[in-house]
Amino acid sequence: MTVHEIQEFLAPIRHEFPDSRSLILPALRFAQEERGWLPPETMAVVAEATGYSQAYVESVASFYDRFYMEPVGSRVISVCTTLSCMLRGSDELLAHIGDRLGTGGEGTTDDGRFTLQRAECLGACDRAPCLQIDSGDQLGPLTHDDADALLDELRTRDVPSRYDR
Amino acid sequence: MPILNSVYRHREFQDVATLGGYERAGGWNGLKATLEMTPDDALYAFHRSGLRGRGGAGFPMGRKASFLPKDSGKQTYVVCNADESEPGTFKDREIIEKNPFQLIEGVAIASYAVGCERAYIYIRGEYGKQTEVLAGAITACRESGRLGPDAFGPGVPFDITLYRGAGAYICGEETALLESLEGKRGQPRLKPPFPAVAGLYGSPTLINNVETLAALPPIMHRGADWYAALGPEKSPGTKVFSVSGHVLNPGNFEIVMGETTLRELIFDMAGGLREGREMKACWPGGSSVPILTKDHLDVAIDYESLNEVGTFLGSGGCIVMDDSGCIVRASWRLAHFYRHESCGKCTPCREGTGWLEKILGRMVHGDGRMEDIEMLESLFGRISGRTLCALADGAVAPVQSALEYFRDDFVAAIENGGCPVPEPMGVIGG
Repeated sequence: MTVHEIQEFLAPIRHEFPDSRSLILPALRFAQEERGWLPPETMAVVAEATGYSQAYVESVASFYDRFYMEPVGSRVISVCTTLSCMLRGSDELLAHIGDRLGTGGEGTTDDGRFTLQRAECLGACDRAPCLQIDSGDQLGPLTHDDADALLDELRTRDVPSRYDR
Repeated sequence: MPILNSVYRHREFQDVATLGGYERAGGWNGLKATLEMTPDDALYAFHRSGLRGRGGAGFPMGRKASFLPKDSGKQTYVVCNADESEPGTFKDREIIEKNPFQLIEGVAIASYAVGCERAYIYIRGEYGKQTEVLAGAITACRESGRLGPDAFGPGVPFDITLYRGAGAYICGEETALLESLEGKRGQPRLKPPFPAVAGLYGSPTLINNVETLAALPPIMHRGADWYAALGPEKSPGTKVFSVSGHVLNPGNFEIVMGETTLRELIFDMAGGLREGREMKACWPGGSSVPILTKDHLDVAIDYESLNEVGTFLGSGGCIVMDDSGCIVRASWRLAHFYRHESCGKCTPCREGTGWLEKILGRMVHGDGRMEDIEMLESLFGRISGRTLCALADGAVAPVQSALEYFRDDFVAAIENGGCPVPEPMGVIGG
């Protein structure tokens, strides 16, 4: 990811914001698409492209759950574990997927393909227990068999995420 | 049953998520009627309708809009809060997915009334699919001229910018949302000044929830008097309730305020509970409100009636737990949520939510001590009302009320060496 690429991405939306600081979040999201997370060198590029300091850009990014400051797998599986999902078995679903992935709970698989994390309310309590792949649609209600089928599909379908993270 | 699909127009008409379908369903009639009025008359119509903010606070929408100064010499902004993150709440998601043009029309109506040329819709980062739908609808509006240089008539521009968050519950708090939209950490601001005076980029700003803005097109088309006549005088109109948890038919239900009881919402509309189960507790307005029990099932659902039984209508996210659930465990889970989502700006919240989670956690896991109950009680007043925003109050309310109604359960958790692990309800039919 280069400064130029980020600036090209921002050019068409720049006029929509009276203050260029508002471009930092869109720039971070765009930059994160490349490697799935935001290593320091990417932060530096975002900083230069937006005209703010790297320290400031990092302080903003670190506030938000979906900007990753550590490496994540190619696909991030977020299992909602807030109350409505908990009442319908989210903890068991998370544990089951952790077993299947070999992460034994939250974590990233050794081959780097998947990161499993618990998420706070995903706004889909009607589909509880639910999960989300990257920031795709909330999938649910999921039985453990459904989750297995989903993992099989993700393993065989080596396509990039349909949605950015 | 008093269901009225006003913001849920997609439940009455086909294809409203397409521009043509929305037009066939009577779309844009509200904006058309608005554009024939002066902005002041439109504001007055908001006021007369009695519409109250549907995001959680229930503040009269027309009054909020009237607070914007007209002579500030600055740009005026409308910001739509689509950061739907309150646990148990998924009503805005359905509007955005299934009826996006009504939201756009509502944003346009509000913008005309307060003289805004560019509105922002701030949508939570997790709503990737919903962002795609809404972005498509905005593009379709631009292509058909409903947004752009002549949106409100020749030479009268109006456009909408969609802005994505990146995962932070606190960004649903209006000033935190504005901070985030300005490219900062999403931490609430000290008020006053209120956003109406100094909001986005220091300019007068009207900020409203998705459902509030989506309520405007029917109000402006059918008339403020029509809306004001629905339901009780102080809580008029329709409201969407999201019902989830241990109910057989979780989902969204748009009802006329005041004409439905909690029992009807949970047992008739949301399908009730499993055979042989009783309701233990319900968080009626999202998770940030005091809980209710089976003794409250006959309360009418409107702002005032819910206040009378000690809780709030809130966001309308009604989480139901039956008697297989454990109130201590549920309280602990919510405490975890608020601890995780506290932005850290105010010490009582940053530290207090941590203590709530810690104390409840040891009760759940068998390390609770009898004095923990007193410690919890002493915490409530040291957190509530001592912070910049309502997150801390929201963290305390469900725990404090749970302890009031079910003190014996907390004592039992301590005496019995922890909470039983409840059998999850699981997937119906799964």
